[in-house]
Amino acid sequence: MGFLRRLLRTDTLLPYWLLLPTVVYLIIFFVLPLFQAFSLSFKTDDGQLTLKYFERMVYDVGFMDALKNTFLLAIILVPLQLITALVIALLINTNFRGSRLFLYICAIPLGISDLASGLVWFSIFSEHGYLNSLLYKLGILSQPFHFLSYVHLPWTFGAILAAEHWRATAIVLVVLVAGLQMISKDYLEAAEVMGANKLQRLWYVVLPLLKPSLQAALIIRTIFAFEVFAVVIALAGNLVPVLASQSYWWYALYRNLHIAAAYGVLLMTLSVLVTWGYLRFLRTREEALR
Amino acid sequence: MKLAKVLGLVLLLTVVGASLTFSNGQKITFYSTQMRPIEEAQWARTTLLPPFTSETGIGVDFIADEYSPWAARLIGEHAVGKGTIDLVGGLHGDFLGVPGTMADISGTLWYLQGKGDRTFIESFVKMGQMGGIQAYIPWMQATYLMVINKKALQYLPAGVDYNALTYDQLLAWAKNIYEATGQKKLGIPAGPKSLLHRFVHGYLYPSFTGSMVKEFKSDDAVKMWKYAQDLWQYVNPSATSWDAMAEPLLDGSVWIAWDHTARVKDAIKAQPNNFIAIPSPAGPKGRGAIAVLAGLGIPKNAPDPVAAVKLIEYLTRPSTQVEILNGIGFFPIVKEAASAVPTGAMQILAKGVTAQAGAPDAIVAMIPGGLGARAGEFSKIYRDTFMEIVVKGKDINATLTAQGKLLKELFADTGAACPPPDPTNEAPCVPENIP
Repeated sequence: MGFLRRLLRTDTLLPYWLLLPTVVYLIIFFVLPLFQAFSLSFKTDDGQLTLKYFERMVYDVGFMDALKNTFLLAIILVPLQLITALVIALLINTNFRGSRLFLYICAIPLGISDLASGLVWFSIFSEHGYLNSLLYKLGILSQPFHFLSYVHLPWTFGAILAAEHWRATAIVLVVLVAGLQMISKDYLEAAEVMGANKLQRLWYVVLPLLKPSLQAALIIRTIFAFEVFAVVIALAGNLVPVLASQSYWWYALYRNLHIAAAYGVLLMTLSVLVTWGYLRFLRTREEALR
Repeated sequence: MKLAKVLGLVLLLTVVGASLTFSNGQKITFYSTQMRPIEEAQWARTTLLPPFTSETGIGVDFIADEYSPWAARLIGEHAVGKGTIDLVGGLHGDFLGVPGTMADISGTLWYLQGKGDRTFIESFVKMGQMGGIQAYIPWMQATYLMVINKKALQYLPAGVDYNALTYDQLLAWAKNIYEATGQKKLGIPAGPKSLLHRFVHGYLYPSFTGSMVKEFKSDDAVKMWKYAQDLWQYVNPSATSWDAMAEPLLDGSVWIAWDHTARVKDAIKAQPNNFIAIPSPAGPKGRGAIAVLAGLGIPKNAPDPVAAVKLIEYLTRPSTQVEILNGIGFFPIVKEAASAVPTGAMQILAKGVTAQAGAPDAIVAMIPGGLGARAGEFSKIYRDTFMEIVVKGKDINATLTAQGKLLKELFADTGAACPPPDPTNEAPCVPENIP
């Protein structure tokens, strides 16, 4: 009886009651569809377990390219954006005059949808776009340069890198700025007193204390990097296949939900593996905080 | 007292207003995958459908959607047993993707044929028979042809009749333009949402091999792909980003274009004096071309099927068929309308369509039925083959073998019959030379 009474006391259960609506929402709109996606990718319409959809996915002409492009984009973008965001965050953290405004300007891409960003950069790189017009005016080009065509695929890839870098650095930046602000000035002053110069303070004090934020930012950014979609479609259509776009075309154009689900499951597995990797190798050690 | 008077007046007005609304209240929902671009949907709502409403007093709620949500909604409503759609418009292939959801409207067809003022094209009526019932009644047809800017005519090789081009002559023409101007003015839509696959399976394959599926991998096919690689040298490099050819034609990037009539119509409408529509070229085996068919169906759970029948009657009237041609460039499926002369730019297109349909060496190709929900994979095979061989320059035989395997599997799994020009009595259709 006492146990039951304790269980029913609202102050013990309050956190769980407060979480309940969100949990129900997540179960209905995320967990259930997740199981559905798994079952779609492994089961035929008649309910038989099969690997044929994964086999078909791997046999697809776009698969190897999609895998390659997705990884390539992630491997290039994530470190690049991390460094850019870190530099900007450290700069903002010096609280120079107008640093607040500077932060808001850098965070503008956060308020724009992926597709809108893609279209903005399309209008820069397209045949009659801003870049071609500029180069023509400067006399560098006499005819438009097809940045976004299959004859210049490396340029198309570069355009995607530029657009993604512009669009997604902001989220890493915001996380790092928040993380930097949480570092107490005492540590830095103590280090300065002990004779550490700016670079040593950065390497031995700031970065270790920033690890939790770095970990969070890296996980968020890498998962989103694997899911890159709207920008690639806006700039390159299907010239640069990526995993998410293949999943989309299989669903919307070719109407084979099983194979689309297979791509989705692959993406999810990659995200889970990468997150596990980050959590394992960027483990914060307690000593760093003492 | 004053308050009571005001309330009384409001009540009176409400009752009058409500009764007025209810007297014109009959409304049906017309849900279509066609007339989806904003201008076409607007035209449907402001020009096509209002005369029907004034004639019958039935309002029409026209909703256009892409195939994917359209199919999802129809299948979903059928499964739940609760229908909100009275009339459905879609392409032949769209109806294949929603099996079992449409009512048998052979009764409606007999009623319409009995009216005596319209003769449906027989082969189109047969296409509307799916799953043992009349799933749809033909509504409008379209095809794909070539549109040329008159500027290109000066580069036409000597002695060539552009109304009876061959593929070799097309190549020579495009090459002339390139050598004279340094620019690649030939355009084939190759973007992700383009109709490239139709060009490959409905135009190239029948013209070069006399077949669509069976000769997928054959000596004739290899010759065809080599030709395609040569032709691609003169196609504008932006082609892989184009889903439609109207804009490239209008801005002058392209002087010779191939596309669906509806996707070039805007260019001809804007500058009718600059363009001519001509039949697609002929290959060694003949002049292959697809007949594309849109139909009207009534879902099994339609709230008001009687009103839907009235709308079908209106839309298949010869006068309305001419309106549709003028409005969105889809051509009539009743013979009486075809002889009516459309005004303005539509005349240009109609001449091209008629020339193509009436060509002595015409080979009629049709989009395969019987693939059901997997029709999209058929398109993907031909599109992928083109991208691999022509755009990426991969080995022809290896690609044809790899994609041919998928084609064979697709037909084997679905049991679908061969589409014309292949023998239609062979089901499942088996592509030859595929291990």
